[in-house]
Amino acid sequence: MRYIFLILALFSLSFAKVMVIHVEGMTCPLCTMAVKKSLKKIDGVSKVKVRLNTKKATVIIDKKVDKKALLNAIKDAGYRGKIISDKD
Amino acid sequence: MKRREFLVGSALTIGAITIVPSELFAGETSRKFKVIYDFDLKYDTKSFEAKLWNPLPFNSDYQKVRFLKFSGNYDDYNINSNNPYDARVLYTSWSKSDKKKTLHVEMEIETKTREVSLKLIKKASKQNLPLPKDVEFYLKPTEHIPTDGKIKEIADKLTKNIDDTFQKVQAIYDWVTETTFRDPKVIGCGVGNAGKMVESGYFGGKCTDISSLFVALLRAAGIPSREVFGIRLGLSHFSKALGKADKNGFANISTWQHCRAEYYIAGIGWIPSDPADITKLELVEKLKYDDKKVKELRARYIHSWEMNWVGFNHARDFILSPKPEQFPLNMLGYPYAEVDGDVLNYYSPRAFSYKITSQEVK
Repeated sequence: MRYIFLILALFSLSFAKVMVIHVEGMTCPLCTMAVKKSLKKIDGVSKVKVRLNTKKATVIIDKKVDKKALLNAIKDAGYRGKIISDKD
Repeated sequence: MKRREFLVGSALTIGAITIVPSELFAGETSRKFKVIYDFDLKYDTKSFEAKLWNPLPFNSDYQKVRFLKFSGNYDDYNINSNNPYDARVLYTSWSKSDKKKTLHVEMEIETKTREVSLKLIKKASKQNLPLPKDVEFYLKPTEHIPTDGKIKEIADKLTKNIDDTFQKVQAIYDWVTETTFRDPKVIGCGVGNAGKMVESGYFGGKCTDISSLFVALLRAAGIPSREVFGIRLGLSHFSKALGKADKNGFANISTWQHCRAEYYIAGIGWIPSDPADITKLELVEKLKYDDKKVKELRARYIHSWEMNWVGFNHARDFILSPKPEQFPLNMLGYPYAEVDGDVLNYYSPRAFSYKITSQEVK
């Protein structure tokens, strides 16, 4: 059973990407939640971590997710995003 | 120290010190309030880990915590002021489980009218005495309280050709109370981003926004100043806009957090002010800046506070202890909690969830 999970995890990772986005305009801890909630609404976003001290959002997405959708989600939350790294 | 009730008497350590001598208070009257916080932390999942930092009042000449008692099913706790502002915090934490996460805090708080004589302020102001070293800390900028750029430009313009410190304070206070207005759409007390306010040219806000603008301009003019984060406790004898209670002196104060300000004049010490409540009075009572009642409050709130309120701390843009996932914290007037690393919405007592009540004790 453990092997099946491992194979499934590796399989899903091969279709995943890690995006790091600089988020401008976050001023308080609740801003990080607004950005996180907005990004999580996008289909294909599996994990989001937002940090106030670095002003960065780290997002794990399916390869099919459009980068623009991520930036628009950040904009909808009231902030400005700029992709700083995009890794498979 | 785990899973136990903790009782602290009047010997609580003092978190912040006022150096205003008690003889400066005129017509001092004392009030007592029993304040209760009840937490029952909520999250999307059944099983979660939680950490809660709750601000505690400081002790001073004008406010004292007579007793503090708390209990709950937390796994660990401490009371600390491990930050540059000595902001006192009750920290509690719960390990991951599906049990309820509850905390009950009770305090009896005694307050005294805080008023510094204008005659003494003006006299001290003319002496131009040197500032104590520790007070110079409150001249420094923070992320949300810049002292350069447009803030500096406005401060310079307002205080041009004025040498006397108190006259500078008066010029800045008059400008802030006239220029700003209370915007009821702003969530909670506002973020208090003085730099953004002057850059945008939009001067609508709430108490933290308006107090921060006042503080930034004063600091830019070389006058030490600071916000004082706290909560209203009950009925105001001046206006219901500034505090209410039922006929028995009871109030649900869950959303009554309120930020005030102080400035420092050497020879006197910290002087209370509350520019934001001028704008609240105008909005709630539908009054204009030059109406008699507003004029009266403006004259009072440049050197006094009605004490149906208690102060917690002066902290801005700082890091709590133990260190949370998110930092720095903009201000600590509300309870702050992180659940599985997510920040709970402290502006919403229901979503968080917490309830704060106050009963005036006669």
